Amino acid sequence: MASVELQGLHKEFGNVVALDDLDLDVAAGEFVSLLGPSGCGKTTALRCVAGFEFPDSGEVLVDGKDVLGLPANKRNMGMVFQAYSLFPNMTAQQNVEFSMKIRRRPRSERSKRALELLELVGLSRQAERYPRQLSGGQQQRVALARALALEPAVLLLDEPLSALDAKVRVQLREEVRRIQLELGITTLYVTHDQEEALSVSDRVAVLSEGRIEQIGTPAEVYTHPKTSFVASFVGTVNRAEVTVLSASGKTVRWGPAVLKLETEAFAYHDGDAVTLYLRPEDVTLGLGRNGTIPSGGLFNGRVTSITFLGPVTRVSVRTEVGPVVADLSSAEALELSIDSEVSVDVAPGALRALAS
Amino acid sequence: MAAIAVPTSNKRRRGGHGRLQLWHVFWIIVAVLYFVVPLYSLLQFSFEGSVNHHSAGFHWFLTVFDDPQFRSSFWLSVQIALETVLVSNLLLVPTAFWIHLKLPKLRPVMDFVSILPFVVPPIVLIVGLVPFLQPFTFIYSRPEVLPLIYVVFALPFLYRSLDAGLRAIDLKTLSEASANLGSSTLGTLVRVVLPNLRQSIISGSLLTVAIGMGEFTISSLLSFNTFPVYIFNIGQSQAYEAAALSVISLLLIWGIMIGLFLLGRGGRTSIALGATR
Repeated sequence: MASVELQGLHKEFGNVVALDDLDLDVAAGEFVSLLGPSGCGKTTALRCVAGFEFPDSGEVLVDGKDVLGLPANKRNMGMVFQAYSLFPNMTAQQNVEFSMKIRRRPRSERSKRALELLELVGLSRQAERYPRQLSGGQQQRVALARALALEPAVLLLDEPLSALDAKVRVQLREEVRRIQLELGITTLYVTHDQEEALSVSDRVAVLSEGRIEQIGTPAEVYTHPKTSFVASFVGTVNRAEVTVLSASGKTVRWGPAVLKLETEAFAYHDGDAVTLYLRPEDVTLGLGRNGTIPSGGLFNGRVTSITFLGPVTRVSVRTEVGPVVADLSSAEALELSIDSEVSVDVAPGALRALAS
Repeated sequence: MAAIAVPTSNKRRRGGHGRLQLWHVFWIIVAVLYFVVPLYSLLQFSFEGSVNHHSAGFHWFLTVFDDPQFRSSFWLSVQIALETVLVSNLLLVPTAFWIHLKLPKLRPVMDFVSILPFVVPPIVLIVGLVPFLQPFTFIYSRPEVLPLIYVVFALPFLYRSLDAGLRAIDLKTLSEASANLGSSTLGTLVRVVLPNLRQSIISGSLLTVAIGMGEFTISSLLSFNTFPVYIFNIGQSQAYEAAALSVISLLLIWGIMIGLFLLGRGGRTSIALGATR
């Protein structure tokens, strides 16, 4: 187990700033995901740690020692790539043994360790198969076993599941987390899939334009986004431009409704324009009975679309303050139809206000 | 419901199909005759003539085998062909690897350079090379100079074969994976890249062998008695022996090619000849 620190990493490709003085501390044994859209610099940061890219400035410290002077083959880091990277001319076992063979480990030790690792990823029966005889998910499992063969200081995963189908992706991400916890290995995981990042990580770092917008536990990042980018990128969100009515009372006006925000920090002044963020699962809809207009909500509206997503159903409502999206349990949503008149309410404490 | 097209007349369809088959067969026969008739004539000629009022049989072949010049020229050509394969691969495999991995912008330049030997006639090449090579007397006067020249002729075949092989694998990812696992660049080339380029190297080398064994112009101009030069000299005065030599030459080259091809197929990778996966 080793800690990893990225200090002031700066990297430009031509005129494009890939990393903008990025700082990140990963504790020993921690699983940190770098989450962000394409081009945000997450893969570049990972490749700087691996030794495949060299930053223009900054440091990469592993257990306090700068590793930037070391070539990739001397850094003792295990990496799983986005593309299938198994050596086509070697069996699964030979792939896993590869790094041990380079270090001239005895044949019996190599073989034993490789089989243990293949067992760990559930592929001991496929040890003699060539990559072309394995499915995509199996290939990535072998790649994971191969990356772990030399007990690396850090495990680097560069969108390893993005080429797999949805079901395998879910299975494999859970396995990655299980193995990481079992081995206690420090892990940096790059992904653009927020669900993946939130489900497996100890902490998630959300990146945008080469900088970390926010880092925190998955729950913190999801429920307390610090920037509008994080609020919009992580999960689905309703946005509304509102005005601060009373800074001391933490109240804002949203259309006809006056809302009190249950937030500790409220650094705004009376009359400030702020953006209100609200998760769809925090929106409740009330349905009028026997053709009556529903009451009790913040405002009324009409259902414009209903999208069945399995356990939840996403309902879009046109209101006087603009469209509002609500996630209801699918059982609840059965009562709704297009054009149903509904009242819209929000859960107390669910509203987040960020500077516009 | 989608409409299904049904042939209006089975008879017409069958008739049209039959006519096409006839043309197929006709052109195949023409193509086969074009290549087979000269070979058959050569083979027949090599068995013709009479010796002591008996059919020649294998007489011309045996005569040729008995000629010490045959053996020396043949082994010289084999040696030159193998040296050409060795030098070409030593020069081009790392070059192609580096260009693909580190300098992909140079690929179009290499593509252009690699077709130049097709458009530059051998005589032009040798006229340009002689003044350059002459001061290096230790090599210029020895047949080992030929592989150094033949490398140029092998360039289009070997480089293009390697290029196709390298395009067929994800070289960047494989190289990075190898480095991440502790391998040096040379180790990556030897352990990862070469086994996956096996078919490309073999198919390029096959053509290089054919060049090394069959090149006449340059070896003749530089006065080396290689196998093609020997065949030409024999052909000036001994037509039957020349025919037998041509047959032997063809069989040997085919044998070498089949051997190398089978060697390549014996590999565990599924990369097909021409290096496409």
